[in-house]
Amino acid sequence: MKKFIFILAIFIFLGGLTGMASKPKADVYIKRLKNDHYQLIAGGKVFVVKGVCYNPVPVGKNHEYDWWSDPAKPWIVDGKLMQEMGINTIRIYQPGKDPQAVKEVIKDLYELYGIRTIMGHWLGFWEYPCPFYGDKNFQDRIKAGVIEMVNNYKDQPGILMWILGNENNYSCLGQVNPWSTEEIDQEPNLQKQKAMRAEIFYSYVNDLAKEIHQIDSNHPVALGNGELIGLEFADKFSGEVDLVACIIYRGKTFGNLFNSLRAAFDKPILISEFGADCYDAYKMQEDQNMQAFFLESQWRQVYENLANNKEGAGNCLGGAMFEWVDEWWKHNESSPDTWGVHDTGSNWSNGSYYFDIKAQDNKNMNEEWFGIVALSDDLENGLNKRIPRKAYYVIREFWKNPDSEPQTRNRKSR
Amino acid sequence: MRSLRLLLLLAFSFQLSLRQAQGTSPKDTERSRSAVYSSFAQQDDRLVDLNKQKEIYFADNQYSEFIELLNSKRRKDKDIASYIDYYIALTRYHQLKYLEEEQLWDEYFNKGNDYRNDIVTKTDKVIKATTPQEDLRIYSELLSWQYHKDLADAFEEEALANLMSSVLEHSKKSSDILMIKEVADRFLLYGLKQEPKKLYKVYVDKIASTDIEDEELTKIAKGFYDEGNLGLAQAIYDVCIERSINSKTKDQAIDLLSEVARLFAYKDEGVKDTDYAEGVFRNLEQLGGEEAFDQELLYLRAYNLEKAKDYLKTKDNYIDLLMRYPKTAYKDRVLYKLGIIFTYALRDIKSGRVYFDQLAQREINFSPHVISGLYQLGILSQWERDSASAKEHYNKLLELAGEDLSETVVLTRQRLNEIDQGKPLEYNLKTFLNVSLKDEYSALDMSRVDLRASLYKISKAESVSVATTAYAMQSGCMQVDLEYLWSGNIGKSTPSSDQLSFDTSYADPGTKEINLVVVSATGIVERSLDLLDVQ
Repeated sequence: MKKFIFILAIFIFLGGLTGMASKPKADVYIKRLKNDHYQLIAGGKVFVVKGVCYNPVPVGKNHEYDWWSDPAKPWIVDGKLMQEMGINTIRIYQPGKDPQAVKEVIKDLYELYGIRTIMGHWLGFWEYPCPFYGDKNFQDRIKAGVIEMVNNYKDQPGILMWILGNENNYSCLGQVNPWSTEEIDQEPNLQKQKAMRAEIFYSYVNDLAKEIHQIDSNHPVALGNGELIGLEFADKFSGEVDLVACIIYRGKTFGNLFNSLRAAFDKPILISEFGADCYDAYKMQEDQNMQAFFLESQWRQVYENLANNKEGAGNCLGGAMFEWVDEWWKHNESSPDTWGVHDTGSNWSNGSYYFDIKAQDNKNMNEEWFGIVALSDDLENGLNKRIPRKAYYVIREFWKNPDSEPQTRNRKSR
Repeated sequence: MRSLRLLLLLAFSFQLSLRQAQGTSPKDTERSRSAVYSSFAQQDDRLVDLNKQKEIYFADNQYSEFIELLNSKRRKDKDIASYIDYYIALTRYHQLKYLEEEQLWDEYFNKGNDYRNDIVTKTDKVIKATTPQEDLRIYSELLSWQYHKDLADAFEEEALANLMSSVLEHSKKSSDILMIKEVADRFLLYGLKQEPKKLYKVYVDKIASTDIEDEELTKIAKGFYDEGNLGLAQAIYDVCIERSINSKTKDQAIDLLSEVARLFAYKDEGVKDTDYAEGVFRNLEQLGGEEAFDQELLYLRAYNLEKAKDYLKTKDNYIDLLMRYPKTAYKDRVLYKLGIIFTYALRDIKSGRVYFDQLAQREINFSPHVISGLYQLGILSQWERDSASAKEHYNKLLELAGEDLSETVVLTRQRLNEIDQGKPLEYNLKTFLNVSLKDEYSALDMSRVDLRASLYKISKAESVSVATTAYAMQSGCMQVDLEYLWSGNIGKSTPSSDQLSFDTSYADPGTKEINLVVVSATGIVERSLDLLDVQ
């Protein structure tokens, strides 16, 4: 009998070991706390995303430029500056075409500076004529690309998470990159049409998240979403995603965003794109203070809503401000002769950025001036010289001591 | 005792700032109010100096200097600690706003966190040290709410709930009604709707509970109306109306209702609230039936609804006017407006034509509206591709108009040219007709576009601005470019499709319809129309 018990004990012990070995803790995961707040855990530690969107296109080039393979390695210079500022994450919208080059960038940033990478995928949003989320062939083709991306980089140390899409949800409303199906076209009610598109899109993202989880249990999957638009559909159809990565441009404040998300789709949130430009379109001059003012205020709100803040929503995991360096090609992307010119024209209007809203036609958002680091057209070791703006220093100081800001009443500040 | 004095100082300082904010009232209104207020609160002149000092320091933006002064006062008199804390928080609040407005960034970035810290910790300290019965508690909670409201942060909701709760509790025990009004006014300033309404009701009930005469109460209401505080004016008028219905003769109540409705009904100049006016009109109808409305009042009700763009009710009231006063001086204008509203707003071309026909069949007294009615019949026929009928209407129009009404004549000749040359109806006009009349656009109900003129009753050659706001769906960083297809009778101006607004004037009298269709790259967004009366 004793022998039997001993063998059984050995069996159970080995079985346990095997089980433990087959289910190691993920490198990166989201923890739901007892108070229903959320924390991102990376490498066994709480990880607040202090991120920046990264697309270091040099002056004179456009988005098609393969900076990943740039022999001057811009990420080495940038990574050092980022580390000195306190940035711990870069956000990439979609990887470059050469997986080896991409891996090198992720590896260098992580190994040299401890900076992790959020890898995104556009989900075909910018394809011409438009994304056909209702079309099986289109879905399969995009899915293959997403799975390829995950397979390529999932084992790369430094990967933090995946973001599926960016502001693709706006296409469901029918105004931006519109798409449809025969069935939707037959529906006379416009609201129902939107609901039908949303169901298709969010179900598709859910499928992608599910497949990613099957091949990579080490990294969370985020749904990229413009504002909170359509998240009531995500709540129904995108249960597989681990978090929401929202693109928010609300000026000085995020308003009731964090609490609203709790009500609409109770997942943690990463503000995956926010910020302010540093060109005053009204006074027609650069204004670094204006940008620093908005960014500091935005980061304060991000911190107020991190986990364990008694009176915040506790569902924020951090943010990735837009963006690291200016992109000189953006204002007039179809004219290569303007890519070497730092255009001061404005592409869109946003009243929440009120200092220069009186600009002509209220167009106050200067797409080429969002960098917290300016680019000079002078070269330094083969790269456009980097000149940190005021926001770089202001946010650096904020991160050094976010506790100095009163968070709530009757509570110890963080 | 000292606390009481300070408390009274606060009450007085708020009254003072209130008066400054509201400007000078007519003397009789002020007398009426003073009489009421004197029964509620008293002032302590001994402490007015301190408040005056605050005003002087604020006027010179010497915030830190004022805080130094406050701290020195604290050292001399420790009993006033809570009041000093409140003033420090208030000063930091104004200081931060000043730094932001003036873009004094060095101080903002270097000291901003310290100042915010002062606001939060000092108000919290005062809130903890006081009860809702104390004015200081209310002012601290008001400041705390404003601070969080400005930031739109996670504490805003809770701060508002706490403040409301404290004010209501305070109002039960305190006799200071100005406090309630001050908080309600601040809410109104921040665009809140329900909360000020609730507090104004408490405020008005307190006033109404005194032995104040109806006439005095009406004067106070009118005073607030003149100051533009519509929420409060309406709350007091509601009490006046209720009192009048319950205790006066029916005729007296009808007179008051008519007066209040006229006051709030749409007019180009001055204060108006079309929704409130219609509510009073409904009360009037309930109380006095149709007899309560004379011709002018009936027209005013319909006109008020027209400007509120409630076209369904507008047409009911215009029809009522024509039935009760068939020879009204407004007849032609009303017939024309009914034709436009039925056709383009309510998508009922058949009913619209009935009214245009009534004008077109006139054999004498050819008003500008008769001419415009013929033009409308012409374009409807042209849109239906009945060129013969369209030409018939256009030719009759030219015959009747002669050299007068040049604007309509020019438009008519353009339409005739299109028919003669086999060209389609002008694109913007045709699009407007399609969107207004074809079933496939029936989901568009004018709710996505706001179209407004600066004036609706104008003289010939008088300049008027027309502007639109389209409520486009959110599109994030991706700008949706909209086109504005203007058509109709838009006077001397010819706005292009990228113009959201334009200035124009008219050479001829009559009712002018301004049509608009808003288009995005993916199709029609919405349509709208507006009606101007040129004398």
